[in-house]
Amino acid sequence: MHINSRWVLSVSAAAILSIVASVSSADETCNSPYMSGLIKGQEDFVHVWTLGVPGLGDGFDKLVTIDANPSSKTYGKVIHKISVGGRGEAHHMGFTDDRKYLWAGGLDDSQIYVFDVGTDPSHPKLVKTIDDLPAKTGYVGPHTFYALPGRMLIGNLSNVADRGGVTGLSVYNNKGEFVAKYDMPTSTIKQVKGDGYGYDIAVNPAKNALLTSSFAGWNNYMRDLGAVVKDPEAMKHFGNTMVVWNLKTMVPERILAVPGAPLEIRWALPEGQNWAITATALTSQLWLVKRDDRGVWAAKDVATIGDPAKIPLPVDISITANAKGLWVNTFMDGTTRYFDLTDPEHPRQTYSKHTGSQVNMVSQSWDGRRVYITSSLLSKWDKQGKDNEQFLRAFNWDGNELTSAFEVDFTKEQLGRPHHMKFTAKPQRVASLAGASVR
Amino acid sequence: MRLLGALAGAMSALSFVGIAGTASASIDPGLATAPRMEFLPPPPGSYRLQNIQRVADAVLLDRTGQPVRLSAVTQGKITLLTFFYTYCVDPLGCPFAHTTLANLRDRVRGDRTLTGRVRFVSVSLDPTHDTPAAIASYSQEFTVDPKFEWRFLTARRVPDLLPVLNDFGQDVSVDVDEKGRATRTLHHMLKMFLIDDRGEVREVYSLAFLQPQVMFNDIKTLALEAGAAP
Repeated sequence: MHINSRWVLSVSAAAILSIVASVSSADETCNSPYMSGLIKGQEDFVHVWTLGVPGLGDGFDKLVTIDANPSSKTYGKVIHKISVGGRGEAHHMGFTDDRKYLWAGGLDDSQIYVFDVGTDPSHPKLVKTIDDLPAKTGYVGPHTFYALPGRMLIGNLSNVADRGGVTGLSVYNNKGEFVAKYDMPTSTIKQVKGDGYGYDIAVNPAKNALLTSSFAGWNNYMRDLGAVVKDPEAMKHFGNTMVVWNLKTMVPERILAVPGAPLEIRWALPEGQNWAITATALTSQLWLVKRDDRGVWAAKDVATIGDPAKIPLPVDISITANAKGLWVNTFMDGTTRYFDLTDPEHPRQTYSKHTGSQVNMVSQSWDGRRVYITSSLLSKWDKQGKDNEQFLRAFNWDGNELTSAFEVDFTKEQLGRPHHMKFTAKPQRVASLAGASVR
Repeated sequence: MRLLGALAGAMSALSFVGIAGTASASIDPGLATAPRMEFLPPPPGSYRLQNIQRVADAVLLDRTGQPVRLSAVTQGKITLLTFFYTYCVDPLGCPFAHTTLANLRDRVRGDRTLTGRVRFVSVSLDPTHDTPAAIASYSQEFTVDPKFEWRFLTARRVPDLLPVLNDFGQDVSVDVDEKGRATRTLHHMLKMFLIDDRGEVREVYSLAFLQPQVMFNDIKTLALEAGAAP
């Protein structure tokens, strides 16, 4: 493990500097909700974990920070970027429980970068690089970073041995030290065989439940999409399951058959709800995971997304804070869709808009009034030629129509391929005394 | 280290200024709802808690003002440690944490296999205001049972506390008023740390995870792991 020499000092500095910051008041709904500082109002910054492109700018993966506050003079502009000095398939990020740090992973090189976004969210700093995931766990491809108290739960995609889809979960403490690993199940549990694949993770502490989904291994996600699709053997190597884990014991208790690569998982968090939802990439369906009156978790497909025969490829979802609505981005047809989830057993698409030649991530503000999308799926899966648009587009949502707010062209700005987004807010009140003392 | 010292000084100065502020308090626990438990917790001993981190040593002060090594109160027994400040009034903050602990203490006392094997430690986040005398006064209602060890600690000064906060990953912030002066509104993410008798953090509970039955089972699990009661 490489530890930045300033890490210890930065931690100390962050702890101290946080004293001068009051709490942010909001957040996108896809974060682990079990952390502090959720932003429920206007986000100030959108951080975009961006894949480097050879020959474009410095060519490195980078964390790009965009001013997202309409009242700011630099609204809609890139105000900061920090390269990590390599290109390792930047993909997803997650905040620590205290929202002071942002962990960002590389699906190819399995590096995990820790950025300090708490001290000054307008200027994130790289404070640590964790590089021992493969050595400690045998897994590669850190995907989902999900905050638990005092530690980070990481959903991985692949393994060192054969670079296939069999993988597992890993746990690091907030200092970046390895804590534990848990293999995804390959055994049969209650008549359903596990495929051992992994992707997203989502926790519901009130139910002691951890849900995981499944995608594909390095052999597929780092291979040209066209070649994968034309290779019948490769197409067999996608996940077809979700797993319900006992969060306390970290034992898989039930495997759910969810064919077609179930990806992002979102819990309905309001009290009294007992379900989560996901979308399958290859079969283009929404699946409901629900606990019945006997306490048994089951999954069932509850809606189609577009025309599954055309493989629109739903790649990201974003649930509203009240769990009454769901944004779905479909990559192939470049469409952003809204589903009414008032009856989660029967989601209804009520809106769609063509938002780009290719669209991937979708994140909404906690109040649902702003929706952000990015374009890149994976470096080997993005479209070619003129369809290879690379952007972040911000929209306002009035409940009826998405209207453009601003756009950042990541190619024109020499940045790369934008993928995952996270929001931060600047400290609302700052002690000048501390500032003077720090100087 | 020069910067660290300067920052520590800044924190100390802020805390000093804080004394003059108006007394109010709130905590930012994320989703500010009381924890729910809609499941049957796994029985003690049926699972293994993770070894999350080792507790670093430090010197703090007890209620009489005597120095106490943190290792002396985080080893030798199963320990639940949390941070607080005496004037916190957030219903889902320190008062909630201490009420949860008080109820848990009663449950622990009712289990003879845990007699003498469990302690609680509450560490003040505000050494400037929470003097040994202040925490002695505050802790009276929680320490009426001499047979149960519940330690209330503070620090001689803020820089002595900082390494402890850093080690546990306990964030703290202070609201400032319109003139930029620190108030006495502290923010910290409510966390409780379950530490085994060798000084290893084995579980961390934030608000959503403060489920008394689960916490009790976790304590029992560590007791079973350590072997039968002496």
